[in-house]
Amino acid sequence: MMTSERLRQLITFVTFAALVGYWSTTGYFGYELIAEIAVFAILAMSLDLVAGYTGLVSLGHGALFGFGAYMFGLFTVKLGIAPATGMAAAIVATTICALLVAMVVVRVHGIFFIMITLAIGEMGYEFFFKYRYLGGDDGLVGLPRLDLSGIGVNLSDPSVFALAMIVVTLCVFLVLAYLLRTPYGRVLTGIHENPQRMRALGFPIRAYRISAFALSGAIAGLAGTLTAQHTQFITPQLLHWTTSGEVLVMIILGGLGSLVGPIIGAAIVTLLRHELSSYTDYWGFWLGVFLIIVVVSRKDGIVGWLDYLRQLVAERRRPETAEEA
Amino acid sequence: MLTDGGFWIVQILNSLQLSMLLFLLSVGLTVIFGLLNFVNLAHGSLYMLGAMIGYSIATATGSVWLSFFGAPVAVMIIGAVLYKLLIERMRTAGPMNQVLVTFGLIFVLMDIARYIWGTDQLGVTGNIPFYGTIEVFGQFYPSYRLFIIAVGLITYAVLYVLLERTRLGSEVRAGVDDGETASCMGINVEATFFGVFLLGCALAGLAGAIALPAFSATPDMGVGILVPTLVVVVVGGLGSLKGAIVGSLLIGTTLTFGTALIPNFAGIIMYALLVAVLLLKPEGLYPVRA
Repeated sequence: MMTSERLRQLITFVTFAALVGYWSTTGYFGYELIAEIAVFAILAMSLDLVAGYTGLVSLGHGALFGFGAYMFGLFTVKLGIAPATGMAAAIVATTICALLVAMVVVRVHGIFFIMITLAIGEMGYEFFFKYRYLGGDDGLVGLPRLDLSGIGVNLSDPSVFALAMIVVTLCVFLVLAYLLRTPYGRVLTGIHENPQRMRALGFPIRAYRISAFALSGAIAGLAGTLTAQHTQFITPQLLHWTTSGEVLVMIILGGLGSLVGPIIGAAIVTLLRHELSSYTDYWGFWLGVFLIIVVVSRKDGIVGWLDYLRQLVAERRRPETAEEA
Repeated sequence: MLTDGGFWIVQILNSLQLSMLLFLLSVGLTVIFGLLNFVNLAHGSLYMLGAMIGYSIATATGSVWLSFFGAPVAVMIIGAVLYKLLIERMRTAGPMNQVLVTFGLIFVLMDIARYIWGTDQLGVTGNIPFYGTIEVFGQFYPSYRLFIIAVGLITYAVLYVLLERTRLGSEVRAGVDDGETASCMGINVEATFFGVFLLGCALAGLAGAIALPAFSATPDMGVGILVPTLVVVVVGGLGSLKGAIVGSLLIGTTLTFGTALIPNFAGIIMYALLVAVLLLKPEGLYPVRA
């Protein structure tokens, strides 16, 4: 009988195989789609780390994402730093920003945590919307891509860029999957499930929450620098709370706290947005209906549904084997 | 500019007018928050529907007055349907699921509005009550905007009497304070909740309908007003009528004067205020539960 763990490994394998398969058969438009899916997959995994595993539902992750993109723009376009250094510096800057935010926001819980992250995110949105030096509401253009010609990789080729994005997504997935298996990751899950017990066991839960949020911020910042390199044009809209909401939607559709679910969710939302919008002007309606059905069904998204199917199959098999015995 | 008394008078009236719109929205949201423990991000969408339905009523009948009564009733009916279909079963689902379902509702309601009314800005022009300007302390000010202020203040007065001086009000307050004990004392908390939810929906519809002649209506107007409304609710304290009016005045004034004096930082000040309240007094300025 297949275990839940095995099923997830299978889903992960199929997801990445599908991405690579799509990449090998598609053209320019498909490459752009893949890059967009990858960006949101990374962002969604970073939010899953805090929302799904640590139990901190942030509605300000879009702001960290946008902050990373703007830091990349600041360092490369405005200060003329090389893209590789600029990218590293932008991720460090976003991590520090997330760390400072985390030290403030972990004091409040539940709905108040959602509100405070929303408020801080909107402050960031307002700032970049008004800050003329970085383009204000016009956005910032001319962002460079990483120059990897030294190792024979030409990132200005859309096909190569899309494949590189799949590789980065896989790396982030593997790092997070490893991290969540370490004692550190187990403590995070424990804090989500029962903070009082973890505190009683002597774990400094505030320090764990802050560090998880900062780590998640680093990955959100990475996603920001990647979207900046993908579209080479950034606007304050990246920081808006509706971006954070959409990422939360991706996680829920795919499966909260499953790490692979967010990747599937990112793919579904991105594909729906592009495919449905060519059939109907009202793709938001269908996305909304889909989202409501998933949440009301309370089965933890697509990964949850598949796991439920696995259980059904397992239960149907069990009496048969009993008869044979 | 700053030494000109007229500037201050106009800005004070503007901030009162914005505050009263925020009050009509936040008072409904705050009781839904406080009484039902339900996070309703779609409350702004009800405001949008109020404006849209108000537009249809006003253009069909030629009477803007009629829209002030018809729109709240229509939005209340929509609210009743939403409550029975979705909200009732999401009551115990935790804040994240509630955020997600109502976030989905924002998309659904916005696209329904786009389908019915299109994406153009809608406005009513003819037959607006209190058309023209009136002189206030030597300044000419649109009298319709004074009407909005009056509607907000009257609503506050009515709600105050309803909540503080009637049996229904004491049942509502008992429900907010301790729902379990209240139902043990024979109060039908479920029915009270439903009634309060409908009242909140009607007030959101009213806010949309009376905002329409002063501004214009678009399908995304509900998203824009949502965040300031949430800020008012959290700053004032969940479930608190006093908190809703004080929070509305605070946020309305901050936004109006912020935009007039330091346009680049008006929004940031509002969010900073929210963060400060959450850190220093997380239960809000006027908490209902001690």
